[in-house]
Amino acid sequence: MVATSKCIGIPRSILHLEFEGAIERFLRRLGVNIALSPPTNAEIFRAGKRVVIDELCFPIKIFVGHVAYLVAHGVDQILIPTIVGHVNDRAFPCHPRQRLSDIVRALGICDANRLLTPAFRYDRHGLTAGSFQSLAQSLGFSEAAATQALQTPCPEQLVTEIPIQQDGLTVAVVGHPYVVEDAWANNHVIRRIEQLGCRVTTRIDHRPTAYAPEGSGLHFALAARTVALAQAFDQEDSIDGIVLLLPFNCGPDGDIAGHLVRTTTKPFLTLVLDELQSSAGLVTRLEAFIDLLEGEPIPIGGQPR
Amino acid sequence: MKFFTFSWGSNYIAVRGLLRSLGHDLATPPPIGPAIAKRGIARAHPFLCFSGKLVLGQMEAQLENGERRLAFMSSLGPEACRCADTSDYVCALFADYDGFSAHRFGGGNLGGALENLRSHFGPHIRKFQCFRAYATFTGKVDLLHKIDKRCTRLRCMSTAPKQVRELEQAALARIDRAPGPLALWRVSRWFDRAAARLPLRSDPPSLKIGIVGGEHILSELPSIMVVIKQMAERGIFVDWRSSFRMLVRSNERTLAPLKERCSDYLHKAPSTSEIFSCAHALDFVSEGYDGLLHIYAFGCMPQTSLKPILQRIASDAQMPLLSLAIGDRFAEEGLEGRLEAFIDLLETRKKKGVTR
Repeated sequence: MVATSKCIGIPRSILHLEFEGAIERFLRRLGVNIALSPPTNAEIFRAGKRVVIDELCFPIKIFVGHVAYLVAHGVDQILIPTIVGHVNDRAFPCHPRQRLSDIVRALGICDANRLLTPAFRYDRHGLTAGSFQSLAQSLGFSEAAATQALQTPCPEQLVTEIPIQQDGLTVAVVGHPYVVEDAWANNHVIRRIEQLGCRVTTRIDHRPTAYAPEGSGLHFALAARTVALAQAFDQEDSIDGIVLLLPFNCGPDGDIAGHLVRTTTKPFLTLVLDELQSSAGLVTRLEAFIDLLEGEPIPIGGQPR
Repeated sequence: MKFFTFSWGSNYIAVRGLLRSLGHDLATPPPIGPAIAKRGIARAHPFLCFSGKLVLGQMEAQLENGERRLAFMSSLGPEACRCADTSDYVCALFADYDGFSAHRFGGGNLGGALENLRSHFGPHIRKFQCFRAYATFTGKVDLLHKIDKRCTRLRCMSTAPKQVRELEQAALARIDRAPGPLALWRVSRWFDRAAARLPLRSDPPSLKIGIVGGEHILSELPSIMVVIKQMAERGIFVDWRSSFRMLVRSNERTLAPLKERCSDYLHKAPSTSEIFSCAHALDFVSEGYDGLLHIYAFGCMPQTSLKPILQRIASDAQMPLLSLAIGDRFAEEGLEGRLEAFIDLLETRKKKGVTR
């Protein structure tokens, strides 16, 4: 089944985390040799920050750092998918995420011919099968091989449920997957909340919120997902409070942050994540938030603040 | 019904044309200035782009004057940005104004546009009314674009810049009054004759500067960066090709040649608005302009994504590039200083015969 012997590097950052490793799993099933960059660390971030213009958001700098890592470690090609948008042409990724491969190419950190930039579209469930087929064919695999790889069950896919209410507090953490799932980017916020004696949940699988919920009226798909997820958590009895992780200078989530604070009924904390990795302010805010949750449980169906 | 909207330079005139041809009207937006910017900054999240803050400031000022029905144009397509976020979010931002409602106009084709108009004004809207309304709208957008382009060029080429300014104002008033496509054609003819009578300089422009940037912020340059138009009056030829018109006319057919033009720098699959700026920058390079000026609103996602790409284009072409981000500090002094330094650099290069 192996149509390419090249080693393809995948940055363990924005798109990999956003689509829960779907492209990596697909390529592995096809038998492609994959090198995944390590989890984000300070060195990776600094490598990105050195070359990316200041105004681009924090996660883009991390992403470029991952690409630089893969370049330095000699992979044959680096996979940077170009995410075009929802199949309904009504919801789109933000512009920097759509232009990741162009930004990397313009920065000159890697030869253009080492970049593999297949176009992908998504629907409410995630990336579409047609996009995977095109990627496989561009790598020299047959349509049958791609179909088989797509149909292979996915044992590693996580299905988590919101924990049943027990003693103690449960905090929902929402935000873009590439900050929620990236412990360095979010300054280990999940571990810190757990250290304060709370359970943390980041997903809600028994009630489908969908990858890109339709009908939200929002242009940017991940912002729509964040709104849908936060609203779903707001309706859950077992959730005591919601934390929104907002990367510095993220336009779409900046727009919705105020909206969520106004419309959710549960205590809501917005944490802006930036390049300053000091934990002092973060811990104080988390402790104050947990104190608030312990002191004043808000009844479900309570009036919006 | 009377609506209100934000200015988009002078393009609110086209939205008013659409509404008037259906028997409705549109308030004139307040001019952009420090007070409007201040309102927008207070209303918006800090991460919202400066263009968005100006828009929110203009909306708030009109809501305080008693306007309640917001009309805004958006295709909802990939070339759009936050302006495509529909009424739920906008309504939530202005929930403290009783009776506020947001009405998005637009549609991918005549059928979509008709359906959209009926959703606002009822099922009695006929197909020919829709056709006439959009013919008036697009006719006004096209003519506003033409007037802006010609007057910018005339500012550089004419020895009578005051007359150019007066001609531009008179043309805008006539476009606003024109009830339909035929009247617009007459305005266009009148403008051509008047422009042809203006006295012209005999010497060529001292410099040619190509401007690229966000469509909204470029449309508002006369309000927020009058220094750009003054550059033209000093004999510097300035040209920008991005406009509201490009967004209105944008579709896969019109984008295809631009995507091809940009293929060395931009992936062909997305149809986002950076394509316009990238293609225009490449045009300015190939047409022998002396420098590239990139003007964008601070926080503008398309233009921020494009910035490293423009840097690469300028580097490949060995062409000077200046990026000016217009942000919450609503003062021109810093921008003017940088602009003057850029012009000095271009003039020195030209005097020394530095070629790209």
